[in-house]
Amino acid sequence: MSWKAYNPAWPLHEAMQAASARWHRRGLLTAGQQQAIQVAYPLEFYRPGLFLRIGLFIFACIGALGGAGFFALLTELDHFRAVAILGGFGTLAALEFFIRSSRLYHAGADQALLYITLGWFTVLLIDIVHDIVPYSSRYGTSLGTSYLFLILGPLFLLFLAVTIRYADRLVAAGTYLLLLLLMANWLLQVPAGRLLLPFALMLASGVAYWLVKRLSRRPDYLYYRRCLLMLQALALATFYLGGNYYMVREGNAHISGEYVSAQIPFAPLFYLFTAIIPLVCIAVGLRRPSRIWLLTGLAAAAFSLFTLRYYRALMPPEVAAVLAGAVLLALAAWAVRYLRPARHGLTSRPNDEHSPHFNLESLVVAQTAVVPQAPPPGFQFGGGHSGGGGAEGNY
Amino acid sequence: MHSDQLLADLEARGLLPPEQAAAIAQDEQNRPFSLHQELRAALYLGITLLTGGLGVLLYQHLDEIGHGVIIASMFLLMMAGFGYAARHRQPFTWGQAVAPSFIPDYALLLGCLLFLALETYLQVQYNVFGSRYGLATMLPAVLFFGLAYRFDHRGVLAMGITALALWVGVSIAPVSAFTDNNFFTTRLGGVAVLLGLLLTGVGLDADLNRRKPHFAFTYVSLGANLALLAATAALFDFYPQPFLPKVVVVPLILALSVALMWYARRTQSYLFLLMGLLYGYLIVSYLFFRALEFSHGAGAELIITFYFTLSAVGIILLFVNGKKFLRRI
Repeated sequence: MSWKAYNPAWPLHEAMQAASARWHRRGLLTAGQQQAIQVAYPLEFYRPGLFLRIGLFIFACIGALGGAGFFALLTELDHFRAVAILGGFGTLAALEFFIRSSRLYHAGADQALLYITLGWFTVLLIDIVHDIVPYSSRYGTSLGTSYLFLILGPLFLLFLAVTIRYADRLVAAGTYLLLLLLMANWLLQVPAGRLLLPFALMLASGVAYWLVKRLSRRPDYLYYRRCLLMLQALALATFYLGGNYYMVREGNAHISGEYVSAQIPFAPLFYLFTAIIPLVCIAVGLRRPSRIWLLTGLAAAAFSLFTLRYYRALMPPEVAAVLAGAVLLALAAWAVRYLRPARHGLTSRPNDEHSPHFNLESLVVAQTAVVPQAPPPGFQFGGGHSGGGGAEGNY
Repeated sequence: MHSDQLLADLEARGLLPPEQAAAIAQDEQNRPFSLHQELRAALYLGITLLTGGLGVLLYQHLDEIGHGVIIASMFLLMMAGFGYAARHRQPFTWGQAVAPSFIPDYALLLGCLLFLALETYLQVQYNVFGSRYGLATMLPAVLFFGLAYRFDHRGVLAMGITALALWVGVSIAPVSAFTDNNFFTTRLGGVAVLLGLLLTGVGLDADLNRRKPHFAFTYVSLGANLALLAATAALFDFYPQPFLPKVVVVPLILALSVALMWYARRTQSYLFLLMGLLYGYLIVSYLFFRALEFSHGAGAELIITFYFTLSAVGIILLFVNGKKFLRRI
């Protein structure tokens, strides 16, 4: 029996269908060939479009929580742990059953059941550890308590196992963050650990990125593709955040319980990291080219600007918004025209695989554009967003 | 990288001759990397930052010498935006215009947003419209609708619909719309339902009679949501005097939900399917609870949790195992 919950042929068939459609649109396959490929790689699983997935997610949550409530009421709420165990294993059984019987494949409902299962086991674990640990050491709130290890350790193993079996993006991200938390937890218990923490974080992110790249060469890459892409972005993000001046300074103050953060050791090094890493990410993203590097770099650049503004505001926010908006507008308009014929392997023309939900853009405009309303005295118009460059999602 | 894996698999199965596979691999290597979405996002973000920042600047310098400069520059920028969009306009068509570039779209959006800021400024500073709030809100609505149809711009259309909704609200209850800005207060609720139905109807007309069929999505999603939200608010009795009797509201929401599902089938839209599903489920659950309330049965909580479990599982199974409601995209 395979340890994979879903049929490993599904991701291959899905990728093949998408690729053959793309190649056909680009005129590299004849219609007959594409037809033959679509017959040879049928889509046997069930995964509807985004909005129906959201609907299935919601209904699966209602169903699972309603079922748990039903059991809790039947047993008159007298034994929390039994309800949690029943809820966890019951949801897990339902998940396995639905995948077998209905061929769900990341279809919303199975994701909801998976998260609820993990939620039950997490709550159960915390409850058990809470009872085992002696009363005196229970109330350490800092990240460096050894009591936390008892929760994080088993939780990490559980998430890792679930990632390997279900290849879920969010669970993979959770696994990675748990690993980082475990490392921080261990470092904060040794002397000089706090000083080393940012560097350890950057090192761990680098190792994680290398590992993800290694894993991408495995033959079952397609099964874990969404996880690995997620981890790649996360590794980049944690590498940047580990060296970001704001995160290091405020994190340091938070760990030592100070209300006002003080200057940190090696500050110039962190200034450098904050300034350089986003630029490097964007440059690599454009050169390679890689959307993950590019978008992470843009988000990092926005966060670097925020960091700069947080400690040294050069100008009032509205002036900064006008200037930034004008610069962004001019730059983007220039880039659109400059890249109209593809240059340097880049183009401003739409990809041939455009999303069917593109209509949504009009709704986003309706959400953010404000129609005039008679302002009360002192009303401030608009305000506008700051930062968040390139953080747009593809619908 | 994963395209190599796919190509190898195709070759192994004999579905692709090696030369063609090599050509595809070559194309995958050399295909230019599209920055289309990123650039669009950057344009939109830039416009939002610029108009937001200018708006704030305008209010901060109301009484200073500098504010004339700001007004003039905003006006010039607005005219530049409209002018650029007009210069690059496409001939009018009831279908979807194919524009060679998307920059004029954003220039138009910039002009519209600046128009709003300037109009609000004129009202605040010089009280141009006095207390004729209806006129002040109708002006952008008319302008935006005209621009949306002429320049084939769905974003401006959505802004026009929002302005229209505000105009209706203002005309019905001139004061309350400004004081508490609550669209669902007693009298406004009924009007909101009507306006929502009207917008949905216009959207359907656009789709069925092929008059800008791609506008239908904006009309129907905004209109149906407005009508359903207002009707649901009436149902749950948030206000002491409901504006619509429940006998009317329940069939109305049910009918709208079914209509949305029908429309979702027609347009292959998962969004409308989700909307119809959620509002329909809400109404059925509401009716079920009302029935439970009247029966005064013991163990109502048990029945409720049981109902939720069974109904949710039922809906999921219906969609997953039933015949395909929508073709897969």
